[in-house]
Amino acid sequence: MQVTEAKTRRPWIARSVNSLAGTAMFVAPLLALVALWAVVVPLFQINPRIFPSVGAVGAAALESIRDGTLIAHIGASLLRVGLGTLIGVITAVPLGIAMGVSAGVAAFLTPLFRFFSVLAGIAWIPIATLWFGYGFGAIVFVIFNAVFFVVAYNTLLGVKTIPHTLRNAAASLGAGRWAVLTEVLLPGALPNIVTGIRTGLGFAWRGLIAAEMIATNVGLGYMLFVARDFYRTEVIVFGMIVIGVLWLLIDRLLLVPLERSTIERWGMVRRA
Amino acid sequence: MNVWLQCWSGYIRLTQRWPGLAAIIPFIPVVALWTVVTEAGVFPRAFLPGPLDVVRSFVTLTYKGILPDYLQDSLIRLLAGAALGMALGIPLGILIGTSRWAHRICWPVLLFFQAIGDIAWLPILLIWFGFGLTTMTFVIVYTVLFPVVLNTVLGVESVPRDLARAARSLGASPARVLWEVTLPGALPNIITGLRNGLGYGWRALIAVEIIVGTSGIGFLMFDARRAGSTTEIVLGMIILGLLWYIVDAWILAPLERATGQRWGLVTS
Repeated sequence: MQVTEAKTRRPWIARSVNSLAGTAMFVAPLLALVALWAVVVPLFQINPRIFPSVGAVGAAALESIRDGTLIAHIGASLLRVGLGTLIGVITAVPLGIAMGVSAGVAAFLTPLFRFFSVLAGIAWIPIATLWFGYGFGAIVFVIFNAVFFVVAYNTLLGVKTIPHTLRNAAASLGAGRWAVLTEVLLPGALPNIVTGIRTGLGFAWRGLIAAEMIATNVGLGYMLFVARDFYRTEVIVFGMIVIGVLWLLIDRLLLVPLERSTIERWGMVRRA
Repeated sequence: MNVWLQCWSGYIRLTQRWPGLAAIIPFIPVVALWTVVTEAGVFPRAFLPGPLDVVRSFVTLTYKGILPDYLQDSLIRLLAGAALGMALGIPLGILIGTSRWAHRICWPVLLFFQAIGDIAWLPILLIWFGFGLTTMTFVIVYTVLFPVVLNTVLGVESVPRDLARAARSLGASPARVLWEVTLPGALPNIITGLRNGLGYGWRALIAVEIIVGTSGIGFLMFDARRAGSTTEIVLGMIILGLLWYIVDAWILAPLERATGQRWGLVTS
């Protein structure tokens, strides 16, 4: 009953991405904004060092696509995020479930993980650069721990929310420890795990941009920060658009559908 | 085994009598492990300082007055940014939530600008405003604004239309409906938005202080990194964690719970 209700009442944005008309409705305000930008900049003769014109940004985009630097920056950034997230999720989920198995242990460890998930991400940049040197290792570490602590904490919460009766029911029907783990605990915690991944990635993405500004020589954050040294606002604005579009794509096409489908499939239906 | 069980039951009894201890005791084994690892010399001191070193540097920095100053700077920036972000975000959220047209026009723009993320604005802000307070405040306001606006919109939309209509038919003016129906109904969501926004804003502040770097806890950490002094980095991390832990667990989370209980809509 409640599941069907959840299906019919999808968020406005999720439906719009699916349908073409919705996409047009979504893009129209953004296009209007670009049109406004195209009018305002020449009209007030804004100094290109302050804000670039649409044409200059387009030229910068074409140039970076042609000489391959854009692909290199995007590739480097995505590789770091992908690798850091992968290691983070692989280590955090088993740990979170193991901690959540016993209620006492979970209660004991919750404050610890809360503390560390608060620190996750950017606050680790200084010490990460000291441990791993400026570069790939430090950035992957920052992303890893942004994802790790948030996912572990959410997995722990997810396992805690599974009613004990479900575990007992499975056990009394003859399920062994392993079966309870894979068929009750893991699916039950899955919605929380996916929410954790989404939150963690949100922190990791910001951490990535910050870390790339500080600690590397390739990647989107670096692209922006170097352009600043030469007052090339057109490259900065183009980079910002790329970052925005990339995150929208990752979030809307990958994370939101993943979250929705896990909640629909495995989410607990509760009677209010 | 028996000793462990006795310890455990003692712990349970202790935390039942003083629930506050449950937030402190779990850190004792971590600090103990940390002490053992550093004392045993598993990692060089330059990589991982011991707890005593950190306490010593805490005392020195407090005595010199650097730490209180920096902490104050960071907190004032965060508070000013959060206040401004709320002042802009709540009215905007209510406008977007109540008007269909504003919703259609603003929602995609909001999502896109949220996706750009606060820190990506830093380079162009540095060109516009230079290395200074304006840049930092802008970034924090930007960070706090979006979660507040998006959650306010969700909150306003979660208030059943019937309630507003009922108030109208009983003779309430639109302003009164806004003040007595829409705003209280949206309040739990607004607080959630504030909590998320501050969580992001706090991290953004650290990044900004590292990059813009004139004062603040983030600056303290990165300055220490330049000098290669891990002690102060670890000290900075602990202060950040503790501070946010206190703000979140003792102020924001209870606030969220209280508004949820007082004004939350009962959905059945």
